[in-house]
Amino acid sequence: MAATTTVEPGGAPAPAGPRRRTPLWAVVQRALQYVLMVLLALFCVVPFAWVVLTAVDADGGPTVGLPAFTLDNFARFFTDGATPRLFLNSVIVSFAATALNLACGVLGAYALSRYRFRGRRTFMFAILLIRVIPPPATIVALYLLMVKIELDDSYLGLILVEASAALPITLWLLKGTIDAIPFELEEAAWLDGSSRFGAIRRVILPLVGPGLGAAAMLTFMAVWGDFLTPLVLLQSPDLYPLSIGLFRSFTAFNQVDWGVLAASAVVYMAPPAVLYLFLRRNLMRSSLGGAVKA
Amino acid sequence: MSTAKALAARTARRRRDRAALPLLLGPSVLLIAVFVVAPAAYGVYLGLTDTQLTGFAARDPQFVGLENFRNLLGSEDFLGSLGRTAEFVFWSAIIGQTVLGMLAALLLRHKWLRGKGLFGALMLLPMVVPEVVASLTWASVLSSESDSTFNRLLGVFGSGAAAPLQEYPMASVILINVWRGIAFAMIMFQAALEDVPDELIEASRMDGASALQIFRHITLPLIRGPVFLYLLLTTITTVGVFGLVYFLTQGGPGQDTEIASIQIFQSAFKYSQIGLGSAASVILLILLTILGMTYARLAKVEV
Repeated sequence: MAATTTVEPGGAPAPAGPRRRTPLWAVVQRALQYVLMVLLALFCVVPFAWVVLTAVDADGGPTVGLPAFTLDNFARFFTDGATPRLFLNSVIVSFAATALNLACGVLGAYALSRYRFRGRRTFMFAILLIRVIPPPATIVALYLLMVKIELDDSYLGLILVEASAALPITLWLLKGTIDAIPFELEEAAWLDGSSRFGAIRRVILPLVGPGLGAAAMLTFMAVWGDFLTPLVLLQSPDLYPLSIGLFRSFTAFNQVDWGVLAASAVVYMAPPAVLYLFLRRNLMRSSLGGAVKA
Repeated sequence: MSTAKALAARTARRRRDRAALPLLLGPSVLLIAVFVVAPAAYGVYLGLTDTQLTGFAARDPQFVGLENFRNLLGSEDFLGSLGRTAEFVFWSAIIGQTVLGMLAALLLRHKWLRGKGLFGALMLLPMVVPEVVASLTWASVLSSESDSTFNRLLGVFGSGAAAPLQEYPMASVILINVWRGIAFAMIMFQAALEDVPDELIEASRMDGASALQIFRHITLPLIRGPVFLYLLLTTITTVGVFGLVYFLTQGGPGQDTEIASIQIFQSAFKYSQIGLGSAASVILLILLTILGMTYARLAKVEV
């Protein structure tokens, strides 16, 4: 086996001679690379250690240390003032936007996959190119537009914007999934008397599962984590989602309550994590395998 | 079923179902047109007006042509924010994320390395959490309080407490953005490295090439295309970074971390200069397009 394959640039120089003569070098090199790996991993993980430990710490500060275990921070999160409202708002907006996104996405992707029409390819590439525009570059005009059509500062406006922003990805993802579903299955349904829409419901929907799961995951995470759009579109504290709530409570007071903030962060990260666990089996499963061969 | 029958059914069905197309694709087209395309187009128009959020000019915005652009290109605030954006993108995305991501991807290539699965999973964490949580964790790590993680680390080396977010704000947000982006670089480079044949590297080692030489002359040329694609993508996303920095510093202290995205936000919503903010967005987009085409040219890839 090779002593090293490609070593990092700027790392320890590789032995120039035959490997046999320098076994020590190889050991040192491997050790160095283990050290590098551990350092990189620590860099990525240590900030999270703070969140998890402080969330259950009775006297939480901005420091990573063994907590005096308590669930008090979570209790305060769910009982104090307006915080449960923040959570509820996030749930409403994220689920509604994801549902709308998937509903439009399935139908649109079906059309893009099964119909041949003028401008189809142009449309596909145009919606992909749109994604290149950084959100802060259009947010100003978006805000004024939403004010003009009186959809600013409302659930509906935010849901529509979030659902649309994630549509290009959903359309691309689901088009790929539907492309992989054999057309013969649909034809069989037609010959059995299904309408076009009936066939979509009976054949496409059950088989589009894995793609739908992936699209749901991506859309939900994008909406759930979005900070800029709700910051600009919403003025009423009643409508704030968790992202804005966390920001406000971090900046509003001089004395930062690290314990509750950390607990909020944990609560904030929970739904995407649960959704991931829930959808993971869905993401892995390929339900197409035996459909045609059988 | 006979092929001819199926074929006939298919053609007939095709013709009759033409009418369903608008029903299927319509909702998606409508949503994207109204909430994604229209704001972009509207922004270009707004950039040519003196629209304001409040005050006298808000009632009756005038078309002012290219005046906003003239003002911006002579304004130190805006040019300064562009410079800070360039600094932010260069150090965090092009240097930091690329180098560390490449290191991680190269590590994961070793067959002898144990714990790769755990390592890969841990590296992904900073990328998948919401950006507000990412900012919050770093707010604690870099807090000026004397028992913050960073200050205790300084204490180990015998140094006094510091307030990095106030004293070295730009370096701090660059570090945080590097942290957030390593995983994406790692994934992209991992995929690219899979196409580099092991035999080639083995052969060059036999010929006595050092690891650095192998990387520079064998590996890197072979993954040139994916590397430039990555640089293009990360440049675009890094120019669009807003929440991560805004949460921590709101562009401050002073204007030290006021990158272009924050400058646009401030001029539109803090100083209510919608027209000026839109014009700044247009300039940013033009610069981004030029940059993107340069990368594409350098990578010699068809886009």
